[in-house]
Formats: sequence, C-alpha cells, structure tokens
Amino acid sequence: MIKNNVEDKVTISGSHSSRFMREIRVAWAIATKDMLTYYTKPAALMFGILFPFTLFLSFSIGRDIPLAQQIPMLIAQTLFFASSSIGPVVIPMERANQTFDRFLTAPVTLLSVLMGKTLAGIIYGVGISIIPVIVGVSFFGSQIVNVGALIACFALSSLAFSALGIMFASIPGQTPGQVMMPLNFVRIPLLFISGIFTPIGDLPTWMQVVSLLSPLTHTVELARYGLGTGGFFGPIINIAVLGGYAAVFVFMSVRFHILNQRKE
Amino acid sequence: MDNAVETKNLTKYYDKLLAVDHINFETKKGEVFGFLGPNGAGKTTTIRMLTGISKPTEGTATVMGYDIQRQPIQAKEQMGIVPDVSNIYSELSAWDNLVFTGKLYDLPKELRDTKAEELLKMFGLYERRREKVQGFSRGMKRRICIAMALMNRSSIVFLDEPTSGLDVQSVLIIRETIRKLNQEGLTIFITTHNLEEASQMCDRVAIINRGKIAAIDTPEKLKRTIQGLQSVEVAFASTPVNALNDLKEFPDIREVVKEGDKFRLFTDDPSSVLASVWNYSQSNNLNLITVNTLGPSLEDVFVNLTGIRPTTEESKRSDKNK
Ligand SMILES: Nc1ncnc2c1ncn2[C@@H]1O[C@H](COP(=O)(O)OP(=O)(O)O)[C@@H](O)[C@H]1O
Ligand SMILES: [Mg+2]
Repeated sequence: MIKNNVEDKVTISGSHSSRFMREIRVAWAIATKDMLTYYTKPAALMFGILFPFTLFLSFSIGRDIPLAQQIPMLIAQTLFFASSSIGPVVIPMERANQTFDRFLTAPVTLLSVLMGKTLAGIIYGVGISIIPVIVGVSFFGSQIVNVGALIACFALSSLAFSALGIMFASIPGQTPGQVMMPLNFVRIPLLFISGIFTPIGDLPTWMQVVSLLSPLTHTVELARYGLGTGGFFGPIINIAVLGGYAAVFVFMSVRFHILNQRKE
Repeated sequence: MDNAVETKNLTKYYDKLLAVDHINFETKKGEVFGFLGPNGAGKTTTIRMLTGISKPTEGTATVMGYDIQRQPIQAKEQMGIVPDVSNIYSELSAWDNLVFTGKLYDLPKELRDTKAEELLKMFGLYERRREKVQGFSRGMKRRICIAMALMNRSSIVFLDEPTSGLDVQSVLIIRETIRKLNQEGLTIFITTHNLEEASQMCDRVAIINRGKIAAIDTPEKLKRTIQGLQSVEVAFASTPVNALNDLKEFPDIREVVKEGDKFRLFTDDPSSVLASVWNYSQSNNLNLITVNTLGPSLEDVFVNLTGIRPTTEESKRSDKNK
C-alpha cells in the first residue's frame, strides 16, 4: 500500500509537468484564496481604499491645481496603500487561526507562498488604482501619453508595496492592527517626502536627496510621465529605484519569515 | 529504509527555555507511534519541527528518508498533518477547505474532487459540504481537519492530540479512522496526554517529559518494566476522616493514592495488604464495597518515569471545588 502511494505520486508529478509550473500553480491558488477571503475585510477596505481616497480629498480640495494634474497623485496613493494593506490583513489573521502553518507545511518553497500572498496585494492595488485612471480619462480630460511608463508604474509599484506589506506582516501579531500600526509609521512619513504635495523641484537639495530614496516618489513620477506631466528624476531612475526596492522587499520578506520559523 | 521518522539530537530552545532536549527516536514504517506526555512536555514543539513549521535549534530529523531541513519539499509531500488546533478556513465551505488543500499539494482537479468526496463521505460530512465550516461543532471541525490531512495521499500522518476535548462520538469516529488508515499501510504519529488512548491505539509509545524522552517501547513492555508494582484498590461505604493516614501505616505499603472515593495501595505484596485491609475494616466497623488487585497500568509507568500523576477529569473537578 505504501509502495502504491509512492508510485502514484511519481506518476502524478511526472504527468503534471515541471516543478516550476507547480510552484506557480500553488502560488496562484494561494493568491485567489486570499482574494476571495480577505479583500472585503474591514481593515483591507479601510487602509486600502478609504484611507488613500480620504487623504487625497482632504489635501486637494480647495487647492487650485487642475484635477487632471492631481490624478497621478491619487493613483500613487492608492497603489501605495492598497497594495501594502493586504499582507498585514491576511497574514496576522491566518496566524491567529493557525492556517498560516498550512503554507509552511505545503510542499512548495517559502518564496512561492509569499509570492502568492504578494500577488493578492498586487491585484488589489492595481484593481483599485485603475479606477482613478478611468475616472481621470473619462471625466477630467486626462490623457495616457506614455503607456509604458504607466504600466511600469503599476507593475513595479504594486509589487514593491505589496512586498512591503508582506515584509511587515512578519511582525508576529495576531490582528491586522498589530501590523498596520508600525507600517503606518513608515507609510505616512513617506507621503510627505515623495513629492506628492510639494513638487520636488521646489525642495531644498537635501530634501531632494531624501525624496530620491523614497520608493513612493518614483511611483508618483512614473504616473505623471504616463499621464503626460513631467517628473524630476526621469523614468530611468524611477524604474531603477522602484525595481531595486521591489527586489529588496521581496528578499527581506522571505528572510524575515524564515527568522520567524526559527523563533516559532 | 524502514524508518518513517528518525531524529538525531533534535532540540528546540525558545530563548532560554529548553522545550525539546536532544531527543533521538525512530518511528517504523507502518506503525502507530505514540508520543505521550503531560502538557508542556514538548510534544507539539516536536511535531512542529518534524513538519517543517519550526526550525530546530540543533539536531536533524528525517521523514520518510528525507531530511526535513535539506529536502523539505520531498519530505512535506509525504506527510499529512493534523495540528493541535483545528486550523481550517472558517470562511470556506467544507468542500472548499478540502479542495484548497488539494491545490496546495498540486493535485489535478479530477483527483481533488474524487478525494474530497470520498473523505467527506468517510467522515459523515458529505451532506453538509456546501456549508461554511464556521458553524460546525468542534468535533465536526476536527473531522474536517483530519480529512484535510488525508487529501494528499501521504505515507505518514502526524496527529497532535486529535481527540482531546471532543465529544464521545467524534472520539470514536476518529480512533476508528486512524486504525483503518493504519491497516491500509499509513504510518501514524500521534501525540496524546491520554494514557488510555496511548495504550489502546499505539504499537509503540515514547514517554516524553520536560523535553526528554523517558522511555520508548510497546505499551505492554513498558508495563512489564515495573512488574513489581502491583496495587490493591479499596473503597469503603463511608470513608473515615483519617483513612488515608491509617492506610499509609499498613505494612508492605509503598504508596497510597486517593482516587475519587477509592484508595489505591501500591505494594509488592498484595496478599499482605489484603489481610491488613480486612483487619482494618473489621476493627473500625467499616463496610468494604470494593476490593480489587491490579497490575501496573500505563499510567503507573508514566507516573513512575515522570513523577507526574496525570489529572483525570474527576480530580480536575474536585480541584475546582476546593
Ligand atoms: N512559541 C513558543 N514560544 C515560547 N515558548 C513556547 C512556545 N511554544 C511552546 N513553548 C513552551 O515550550 C514547552 C513545550 O511546549 P509544547 O511543545 O507545546 O508542549 P506539549 O505540546 O507537550 O503540551 C512549554 O514549556 C511551552 O510553554
Ligand atoms: Mg501540545
């Protein structure tokens, strides 16, 4: 009987294509389950949707900037908050009911598990941030002049920020609040150094250096390139910095979750 | 390779706390192997290391011949896991819980569906497959959790106190299922603090206490290791106030333990104790309602090795009353 089991398994994995494809399928299964289960949790709605839109409205109402120019700011804020809010909702809740252990015992790498979780954040961020693009183009005369820049903006930002959320979710809390709190200590200051409210060209040089280091700066700039208004650092630097952060956040999230397994 | 599990100096520290202390043991393929110990002994910690959830501080472990640290994916393909808490997705239906588990093991769709159906029927939950498991009773959740552990057609199943705190019906279903699976060739690694369960279910038992293994053997052989230890059980119609102290004064007595309204007198010479009991009851005008002589139980072995007397439901209740 045991022999049979083993033989069955060989034929399954043999006929069911390669190891890499299997990791992808499992990551996708994790992402879709997270989407169905957690997208409508209060903490996801609040920090992922309500928060960036409210913030945007409270800072833009009464300022005499044309709305078309403000659309990139809104896109950047929704990408930032929505993408980074899924990990901090999903992982602590799964830790609380111990379902997170199921991923640790699944026959896939930790990287695939975390990439599945990251993907749930990416899709959330992209899905919500497409709304301001559509609204801008349909009602406020925004024009997509550089599709490449806009795609790079969405792809790299959602990846980097979703991975940021997953990285913070390695903090061993059992409620979303325990992760959202420290994460907000990082997210909110970043808003103010990323050229959202003040153009980077108007800042003193040392502040420009600081804003170069903020990933959010490059999201805003790429969104501006995409919709036809210029940026300060240029798209090459934008893409390089965002790509770098995405890689660092993914790497660190895996490291931190491995550290947790040592402590667990 | 006849061993399903092998550990070498497997150790876990939580900061300064030594939860599992250099344990070495083997589980043979096809057996029901029990890990028996009181709360906090290190049973769960051991399972968490064997299943790759937690990293050992020191030492190694193999499952079905695969090193859990160096070949984690191959090792994990071989195991089904039932943790101490029923970790099921309460937002999903019974059916979706099983199907999602199948996806984590990358089973093809047809196999997922047939497996899910077969297991839900086996655990008597097929009629309720569309319901969210949120509303299920504790015992039903436990059954779903065990069904999930069987989705991937593993060769070994780890069960961490699978019957603890459940209703009698669920306990019986679960024990029966475990026996059946074992007969079909599945290796079973089960932890329990329930001595009766260990001696009923297990081919071999490891007694673990404070992170160390005190003994490993078949339940029968463990009992024989303390063959000398026999006891006489007595109960009086009405128990005199200082009965416990009086009984301790009998000759040939090693220990007297009060168990509910009974006394258990441990001795190497039951006949001498029986005589003393008789004399005692006569001279004090006591009615003897129970007299039994007993051989050692797994509980005695356990107490002997660990110095801990496991709390029974009865003694828990009387503790509360105090
Ligand atoms: N995550 C943890 N952090 C710190 N200490 C822990 C943790 N898990 C278990 N322990 C401690 O390790 C010891 C063994 O626990 P455990 O393996 O759960 O025992 P058992 O399952 O036999 O009841 C206990 O003293 C427990 O308090
Ligand atoms: Mg335990």
